[in-house]
Amino acid sequence: MPSWSSFQPFIPIGVALGGVYALSSVGMVVLYRATGVLNLAYGAVGAMGAMISWSLINNAGVPSGWAYLVAVVFGGVSTLLYGVIFGPALAARDPLVKAVGTLGFALILLGLMTVLWSNSNITRSITFPTDNSGFNIGAIPVEWTQVIAFAFGLVMAIGATVFLRFTKIGTAMRALADDREITATLGVPVRRVEAAAWFGSGILAGVSGLLLADLDTLDPSTLTFLVIFTVSAALIARLRSITLAFVAAIVIGVVDNMITPINSITDYRDMTPFVLAIVALLSFSRGRQYSFARGGIR
Amino acid sequence: MIEIKDLTVHFGGVVPLDSLTLTFESGTCGLIGPNGAGKTTFFNVLSGFVRPSAGTVRAFGDDLLSMPHFRRARWGLRRTFQTEQAIEELSIYENVAMVHEHSSRSRSTRRADVLGAIEFVGIEPDPATKVATLGARDRRLVEVARAVVGRPRVVLLDEPAAGLPDEETGHLARVIQGIPEHMGALVILVDHDMSLVSACCGVTSVLDFGALIASGPTAEVLRDERVMRAYLGTEELA
Amino acid sequence: MEASGVVTRAGLSLRSSRVDVIQGGVAVLAVLFALFALPQLLSLFWIDTSTVTVIYSIAALGVGLLVGRVGMISLGQVAVLALGAWVSAKLLLSTTLPYPIVLLASGVMTMVMGTLIGLPALRVSGLYLALVTLMLAGAITVVLTVTNFPNGGSGFLGYNDNYPGTIRRPSIATSDPAFFRYSVIVAVLMFALVLWHLRSKPGRAWVAIRQSETAALTAGVNVTVYKMWAFALTSFITGVAGGLLGASQGKLYTFQFPTQNSVILFAVVLMGGIYTMWGAVIAAVLLWVIPALFTIWGIDSQVPTILFGVGVLQVVTTAPAGIAHQFPRDMLKLGKLIYRLLRRPATTASSS
Repeated sequence: MPSWSSFQPFIPIGVALGGVYALSSVGMVVLYRATGVLNLAYGAVGAMGAMISWSLINNAGVPSGWAYLVAVVFGGVSTLLYGVIFGPALAARDPLVKAVGTLGFALILLGLMTVLWSNSNITRSITFPTDNSGFNIGAIPVEWTQVIAFAFGLVMAIGATVFLRFTKIGTAMRALADDREITATLGVPVRRVEAAAWFGSGILAGVSGLLLADLDTLDPSTLTFLVIFTVSAALIARLRSITLAFVAAIVIGVVDNMITPINSITDYRDMTPFVLAIVALLSFSRGRQYSFARGGIR
Repeated sequence: MIEIKDLTVHFGGVVPLDSLTLTFESGTCGLIGPNGAGKTTFFNVLSGFVRPSAGTVRAFGDDLLSMPHFRRARWGLRRTFQTEQAIEELSIYENVAMVHEHSSRSRSTRRADVLGAIEFVGIEPDPATKVATLGARDRRLVEVARAVVGRPRVVLLDEPAAGLPDEETGHLARVIQGIPEHMGALVILVDHDMSLVSACCGVTSVLDFGALIASGPTAEVLRDERVMRAYLGTEELA
Repeated sequence: MEASGVVTRAGLSLRSSRVDVIQGGVAVLAVLFALFALPQLLSLFWIDTSTVTVIYSIAALGVGLLVGRVGMISLGQVAVLALGAWVSAKLLLSTTLPYPIVLLASGVMTMVMGTLIGLPALRVSGLYLALVTLMLAGAITVVLTVTNFPNGGSGFLGYNDNYPGTIRRPSIATSDPAFFRYSVIVAVLMFALVLWHLRSKPGRAWVAIRQSETAALTAGVNVTVYKMWAFALTSFITGVAGGLLGASQGKLYTFQFPTQNSVILFAVVLMGGIYTMWGAVIAAVLLWVIPALFTIWGIDSQVPTILFGVGVLQVVTTAPAGIAHQFPRDMLKLGKLIYRLLRRPATTASSS
């Protein structure tokens, strides 16, 4: 086992990536609660946004601030478009079918990215000005980007909790999760609430995509399937609890990175989300009974 | 004979069954009550989807609650659901044979048992017909055939006439009436259609708010003042 | 009435309907064509493409079985295929076992591994199962990136950076056309194995589970056992397919099995149709023949990925009663239409 000091440098990056996963999984859980859709295209949307802003910066000479804004807006708008077009058509369907629909969306984006940025010989990257400045906590160097990433995740988790609990539209979203038809008859503008959830979670996807492109790597396929980390955290939170999603995401980010110095398993560290999710599933499915409401008898 | 003692079910703060004590002797027994009285919950306890917090269920001397749900079918417990559950992609024959395959009956009796059950409920189309092509009446009958095939001991029917036009309920009533005699099973029938219950059931029990409020010969029970009140109560208040 | 005199009933045909006979006939013709005509007609490029198509049709059949018959969505089947390919590569390179034995062994080993890994996943269903299998695919990819595929190197992993070892083929099928035929025969056996399951007790239990787990349980089906059975059967045939894959290419690389391919395989299976075994063949053609054609026509070979995404959305949205319900109905309607057309004497063909 390596000494504690060799683990130290991996704590900030772990916490930072955990923060981004938290950002995504909170967005994922909020969308799921409001619309019943688990958006598996989350990573692809973020990846596409990041790729667009890379092209704007490097090929069109757009100032990076504006390019990042375009990425975030792309996230919001494309997700909203998907939600507006396919949300109503699938509203009455099983959550599984809704999730499969987003898989189609993810494939479209992934295919587009591979076609549009087909030259794989170029090393692409996104770097924020905050990458190279930072400070030390004890002996551990911390970059400002890492602080920003974690802060985003934390603020989002708190913000989403407050939003769902104390705002009118948030209460409407919570009600939607419980029973759509009753909520609709109560006069809640279901479509508008759902559109807000789609757009908001899309914005988060855009932000996450940029942060991951900076902290990890700018590669369409990699970023698309980083959704696995997000899904894992959301799954551990049982697609419900925002607090749990946040905590799970941080744990996944930290564990995944802290394993790095342990030579025997370092190569396998990216199995972390799978292993943690399986452990969580096993622990909460124990003693589960078949609920009568499931399985088509409705 | 099924003996239920002090059966209680809690769903959080709600108590859909409140120390219910009840015996079903033989034949076709009715179980009625207003919506939310606990009838379907009672069926769900018997078929194993709801675990009671207290009480016992002894069916023909066996402790039903100790068996996992799929074992209860092998023991001889069958049920139908409010929404009909015949399997669309399978033929009528396969639908019924499928249940037989998982019962305790031997393979050699399958063909005879299955065709017997189909004949018994009176489905007219060829048994090789896919269920997806059948109408509501025949689908219901397929479900009843699934419930009676291969000598079950107890058959639970949950609103079998729901969604059927009146003129077809008569045939269904005759089929249900015939189950104890021809198939040898004890039948418990839950339904809101009082004419169906009167036609099929010698004895009937009435639930209200999870408790037994009346039990006895069907005609008497239906005249019982408490039963009338349970059904009409809400209207009087309004 | 314990039904004894009523057994014989006129017109009762429980086994083979007319549609079955037609389908069987077409299938036999297709297989004969693939065995005897195709290798003569095609260039080496297309023979290789056809071989991989045949192999992937087995994997697609597994996905279709899980999704279409049992209602379980697995998003990790290419990872399972990679497991089978790994096991067979290992056995073919480090033993002299006869090829059919290796295929069988890789099927069985994949079945054991797939079932063991899948065991916790089987405790959950629906959306959760789909997510777990997606993560599983990611995890297997991680492991394969580290271990690589055996190429004749030493040690348990059998991988060596500089070793040019080639995975052997069966001695009776060393040439590409011969190996294509060999693959077709193995695929036919796998399809037959699945068909046999579908037509018997497990097949009926599976459709019962898909329609409603609750109703299946009350019908006496041990839902957990039959779900595991479906998972095991799927892993077995996918493992066998993996065994063919290594030998067909001679060398295996981790990059051939990225996580996204599991998702793409699922997508093409949805497009091909999950309720008939033909769907698996169509899926494999979509997956391999279409991109090959695109490449020849000078179109980016990733364009099909976009089309597959569109296809998934189309399948999901135009089947309002559920993926699980609409397709057989459509097919039934189509079947009836064709049946009516076939049955109606040509002379009396009138309005309809």
